Amino acid sequence: MKILPFVLIFAALITFVAGQLFFKRAMEGSRSAGFGKQFATFFVPGIVSMTISFFLTLGLLQRFDLSYIYPFQGLSVIIVSVTAAFLLKEKLTLQLTIGALLISLGVVLVSLS
Amino acid sequence: MPTNFEISDHDTMHVATRAVSPWQRFWTFLGNPWFQIAINALVVTASELFLKLGARDTAHLAHGWGWTGFTGLASIWTWLGIVCVILSLMSWLYVLRHVPLSIAFPLSNVVHVLVPLSCWIFLHELISTRRWCGIALVLIGLAVVAKPFSRIEEKL
Repeated sequence: MKILPFVLIFAALITFVAGQLFFKRAMEGSRSAGFGKQFATFFVPGIVSMTISFFLTLGLLQRFDLSYIYPFQGLSVIIVSVTAAFLLKEKLTLQLTIGALLISLGVVLVSLS
Repeated sequence: MPTNFEISDHDTMHVATRAVSPWQRFWTFLGNPWFQIAINALVVTASELFLKLGARDTAHLAHGWGWTGFTGLASIWTWLGIVCVILSLMSWLYVLRHVPLSIAFPLSNVVHVLVPLSCWIFLHELISTRRWCGIALVLIGLAVVAKPFSRIEEKL
């Protein structure tokens, strides 16, 4: 296994997680402040980040099976839950942590096959 | 409990006080963030399958700058996939407006069950024993994350 596919998979993962955090921040703000300048400040970087992630994933899909590539994004469950807790101050319960770990583990198992 | 779940309750009560047309009931049902999480998972699965078909059609173009994925745009399947991605993004943004990311995101991972299953059914890719175990683990994890919320829904 060459290293480039893993670098690309990692890059697709990071841009994906960043996009999620931007989107959540934008939509949360929209509940009180509407869809104005403050919304755009978070929404536009979210779209840019997601677009980069999208094309990286598409490039990977041209070389590998969908059921092999896609599960790597499963690691994002842990990353998103933890970063949402720290950066967005969401509550991370024990049950949520266990559930997220099980999902991640399951997704890694799927990807190893 | 996070406090941002009252939207759907409020909408339901609001609608219930007046004569409810089936159309209104439909919108209230559609507006349920939990229902949208399910819809989102189905549309995401469809988009992944379309993108794979698009990538398969354009795999012979994957050299040089091919790793950026832009050559995939030569296939109609890719564009169909893009339409599904846009639809799923809209429903996802709606979900994010009402549900915390640390809950909605793990639940959205039901696609990791739906995608391998539909690859198996529609694209005839193989699922090994280990992959079946992974699928089972994801389902258990989903149940663990979703359980406290189903209990609250029952009480309402």
